[in-house]
Amino acid sequence: MALDAAFRDQWGRVLATLVGILGDIELAEDAAAEAFAIAAERWPRDGEPSNPTGWLITTARHRAIDQLRRQQVLAAKAKLLARDLETASQGPEALMDDAATIPDERLELIFTCCHPALALEAQVALTLRALGGLSTDEIALAFLVPFETMSKRLARAKNKIRDAGIPFAVPPDHQLPDRLAAVLAVVYLIFNQGWGGGRVDLAAEAIRLGRALADLMPDEPEGLALLALMLLHDARKAARLHDGQVVPLDDQDRSLWDTQQIDEGRALLQRAMTRRRTGSYLVQAAIADLHLHQPRDWRQIAALYEALARQTGSPIVEMNRAIAVAEIGGPEAGLAILDRLDLHHYRYFHSTRADLLRRAGRHGEAHQAYRRALDLAQTEPERRFLADRLAEEAGYP
Amino acid sequence: MQYALLAYARPEDTDRASRPIPGALAALLDRPDVTGWARLHADESATTLRNDDGRMLLTDGPFIDSKEYLAGLILIEAGNLDGALAIAEEMLLQTRPGTVIEVRPILDGRFRGA
Repeated sequence: MALDAAFRDQWGRVLATLVGILGDIELAEDAAAEAFAIAAERWPRDGEPSNPTGWLITTARHRAIDQLRRQQVLAAKAKLLARDLETASQGPEALMDDAATIPDERLELIFTCCHPALALEAQVALTLRALGGLSTDEIALAFLVPFETMSKRLARAKNKIRDAGIPFAVPPDHQLPDRLAAVLAVVYLIFNQGWGGGRVDLAAEAIRLGRALADLMPDEPEGLALLALMLLHDARKAARLHDGQVVPLDDQDRSLWDTQQIDEGRALLQRAMTRRRTGSYLVQAAIADLHLHQPRDWRQIAALYEALARQTGSPIVEMNRAIAVAEIGGPEAGLAILDRLDLHHYRYFHSTRADLLRRAGRHGEAHQAYRRALDLAQTEPERRFLADRLAEEAGYP
Repeated sequence: MQYALLAYARPEDTDRASRPIPGALAALLDRPDVTGWARLHADESATTLRNDDGRMLLTDGPFIDSKEYLAGLILIEAGNLDGALAIAEEMLLQTRPGTVIEVRPILDGRFRGA
């Protein structure tokens, strides 16, 4: 079942509360789905209740109780619900007025979904399902895997959470930095999948998750910085494509940039910077911000990439530093850095290298590099851009 | 002498949680010379822990058999998987390099005091 946007905003909140009560994601999900289906039928006819979240939780809880009764499952679970049965007899209206008293347990749910004992691909799928409210179909489509594969992946992850006893809890302080890093990595992975692919709007999903995290953990600078980073990147979305072709940043029509989103991103970046901790998302967000200024301050950009490369040891960061260095010291200086990197499987390595070779006047090598980049390109707009450049290079002797 | 009997199951046999132990086997498990037994959840519920130069690496799934041999069995009690992993980590740090611990939830069992 695919939920529309207004509904999906409620999904994570409702599901989290239900998992908290029922202690079982599968059962909670079934009950929530039933409640949302009832709402979809009734609300347009009878009007939306004054407290939609409370209504959905109460209705879903009733459904879960019915389900448990039907199955006559474990006495322990039934006992757990005995307390709820009493309130249940008062009808859904009993809960309507105290929405504020329903604890928001989305954070517990996020940490469960992104637990390191689950495979990364399962963490991603589960987070999109449980917090984002995407259907299995939509997730399968977004990651270009068959429905059956995604369905099995989700079922397996939920079974493991139940059987292995993965806790529904925010980790204790000594574990929080590592575990939060895992959560942020999942959100950023979803965002980047959205950027490269352009199928289901995964970037928008990631931003929604980022907003939830920033709300739930307002004092975590890396969470704020990740949201800032995503907003600043995504603000250029409308300008990134023209006639179905990728447009490099310098050639983009800046009037198409979403200034409101840029302002929001910058405000978040400022908030994150006051916390005096320089995590990798903070540095990346600061770089994303610098890229939006004209002219670009390449020295500062290069310096931040250097700091980031030291922090992460990532060759992709080094590649980006090479681009900045080429702007300061010429294309050969950038190429010297690229020559030290082992990134030959990475599509953007070849397009980056091709561009620097082209600017260095090494057209024969540039031609070859564009060829390689074109072979590795994954989206049509990228292919068109590279094919254009390749054709230009073919004009040189 | 004490012995450990290690039982292996086919990969398609994953529904043990909902299937009771057959009566004849249950009777055998009740014998006085059986000092304890445990039925484990299927290997999909496993988490494998490796010590990579002091950094703990978690992977989802069972330990895939290579040259290593099964060297021991430790039964623990923990509130949840995080608790179990913390204990496993503490022990792993005291073992020789190359040791791997697979953490698997126990479905049911019986244990007799020493």
